[in-house]
Amino acid sequence: MDRPGFVIEPIEAQPTAQSLASLVDSTRALARPPISNFRVAAVGVGSSGRIYVGVNLEFPGLPLHHSVHAEQFLVTNLLLNGETSLTSFAVSAAPCGHCRQFLQELRDSENIQILITSDNNEEFTSLSDFLPHRFGPLDLFPEGSLFLLETRNNGLSLTTRTRMNHGDEDENLRSNNGVVCNGHGPVVDDEKLKIAALEAANASHAPYSGSPSGVALVDCDGKVYKGSYMESAAFNPSLGPVQAALVAFVAGGGGGYDGIVGAVLVEKEGGPVRQEETARLLMRSISVKYAGDEVRTQVH
Amino acid sequence: MLLPLHSSVSLISLFPLYWNTQNIHPQPSFIPSLTKSPLTTTIFSLLQKKKKKDNKKLTMDLKMDQPRFVIPSTEAQLLAQSSGLSSVTDVLPTLVPTAQSLARPPISKFPVAAVGAGKSGRIFIGVNLEFPGLPFHHTIHAEQFLVANLLLNSEPSLVSFAVSAAPCGHCRQFLQELPNATDLKILITNQTNPNFSPLSQFLNHRFGPRDLLPDSVPLLLEPHNHGLSLPNKFNSNDSDLKLAVAALEAANASHAPYSASPSGVAVMDCEGKVYRGSYIESAAYNPSLGPLQAAIVAYVAGGGGGYERIVAAVLVEKESALVKQEHTARLLLNAISPSCDFKALICSPKNGE
Repeated sequence: MDRPGFVIEPIEAQPTAQSLASLVDSTRALARPPISNFRVAAVGVGSSGRIYVGVNLEFPGLPLHHSVHAEQFLVTNLLLNGETSLTSFAVSAAPCGHCRQFLQELRDSENIQILITSDNNEEFTSLSDFLPHRFGPLDLFPEGSLFLLETRNNGLSLTTRTRMNHGDEDENLRSNNGVVCNGHGPVVDDEKLKIAALEAANASHAPYSGSPSGVALVDCDGKVYKGSYMESAAFNPSLGPVQAALVAFVAGGGGGYDGIVGAVLVEKEGGPVRQEETARLLMRSISVKYAGDEVRTQVH
Repeated sequence: MLLPLHSSVSLISLFPLYWNTQNIHPQPSFIPSLTKSPLTTTIFSLLQKKKKKDNKKLTMDLKMDQPRFVIPSTEAQLLAQSSGLSSVTDVLPTLVPTAQSLARPPISKFPVAAVGAGKSGRIFIGVNLEFPGLPFHHTIHAEQFLVANLLLNSEPSLVSFAVSAAPCGHCRQFLQELPNATDLKILITNQTNPNFSPLSQFLNHRFGPRDLLPDSVPLLLEPHNHGLSLPNKFNSNDSDLKLAVAALEAANASHAPYSASPSGVAVMDCEGKVYRGSYIESAAYNPSLGPLQAAIVAYVAGGGGGYERIVAAVLVEKESALVKQEHTARLLLNAISPSCDFKALICSPKNGE
């Protein structure tokens, strides 16, 4: 039997607890947790009725805050596919507090229905029961602000010049126009990557710092994957832009991380949050073929 | 009392008041409204009592000194008694507003304080710290500061705490590392009718340490010793050695059962004072508190002042550890004290296990 992918067209109009639970069982194998070997899958229903899969990703050799939880993967997958809400999901283990907090970024999060498959019952419980007396977006941003997954455009645009990071210059960075090449794969159009990263930055949910960002990755086949930074009101549960792009990579059938040969980060300059050095650290850790051609671009 | 209470509170928020008085044991009679106003209790709690031999009338001296993040148990008891409160637990919420002024949240401007009671009877303070110019995962929450403060002071157990805003899910998860997590009592001071409720009500159906660890593995605040030692060929001058030994002790005390990657950091300020912090891991991974963060907690709690006064730092971690801290610690250090000297030391268990 073929394993399902990360986006599934529903067979029935309203997926049942049973069908979601069985999808959780079969998709846990897609998780990549080399540190814990504790595989988690979260399978959820978007506003369109389509079904999305999320799995956990861990990155050895780095602090644990780089980890991506299955629930975060699920939400990122929804954003990638233009879904504007998450109605319900089934997950193989009780969502941790970090995830219960991350989910607060969604509008009407209190009503998200959650099924924990390890409980062996078919009961959905509202997220509000899992995080009473919550701390959430409305504690920090005014009513009327956009929640995560709601359509937005941060209105950033690239400046005409590309500015490399100040401080120590990486000798692998090229300043020749428009071409990213690290000797491991086909020459990739830097412009295409930059545009994808900019699109991701413009879709990024960053109301607490005002520092939206996006990353675009390219694999050795030239396929581009993009991810948007998603902030949490509680700060620490925020999902970095590289992480979001890696979700797109894994969900897009990307294979091993060393298939990634290039990356571009776009972030707004001068904000209180800065991703560049951290993004570089993660990229170098996961892909030996990645030679540090990350270009940081100034945006307005 | 010559100053209105409100203006006194804002002064006291940063600096304790020194009372010149012939009587070092505070009596309800010399703070007339003590039993009635929680504000006077707050003022009292941060007092550093100073004995004067000469016979002076009650006056108030303002002396610039360090705010305190640990209140000894005898003083905590006195606080409760002189405020007419039945226990130290009841004192906790009254200390929260003043403690909030010790927070350092330049990004959100949302100061949070968590004031906790340890089993020893001591009171501990935690505040939130934010670091501009970095991703948000470097942030230290007040509840994490509180727990790191307990670990630093070898406090065996956190019984209860009062906090200025509802703990976020990240903190509710971090607190699961404590052995008594389900019973830990929490009061949220900005609620309409604040009362102490157990952590199990804030995070039911929890994911916790025992989902990943056997019963034999110690939990947070229980004794840990990873048996790491400094490399043989470690050549150093005195201050380097002092830092390295402190970082090693911190690493050996760290709680890292999920990755088997103990680590510790020691930082030194421009007066040569050393502060150390141990890495504290979370079963849910992301809420883990980095070793440099823990050392910064020690620095702030130790009255360290501005971060730029940190002149040297040492990280101790294991070679080929599943979780490596060096580059991330360097990033944070560069952001808060760019001219700080930083060394990362690889240490191994003594018998090469």
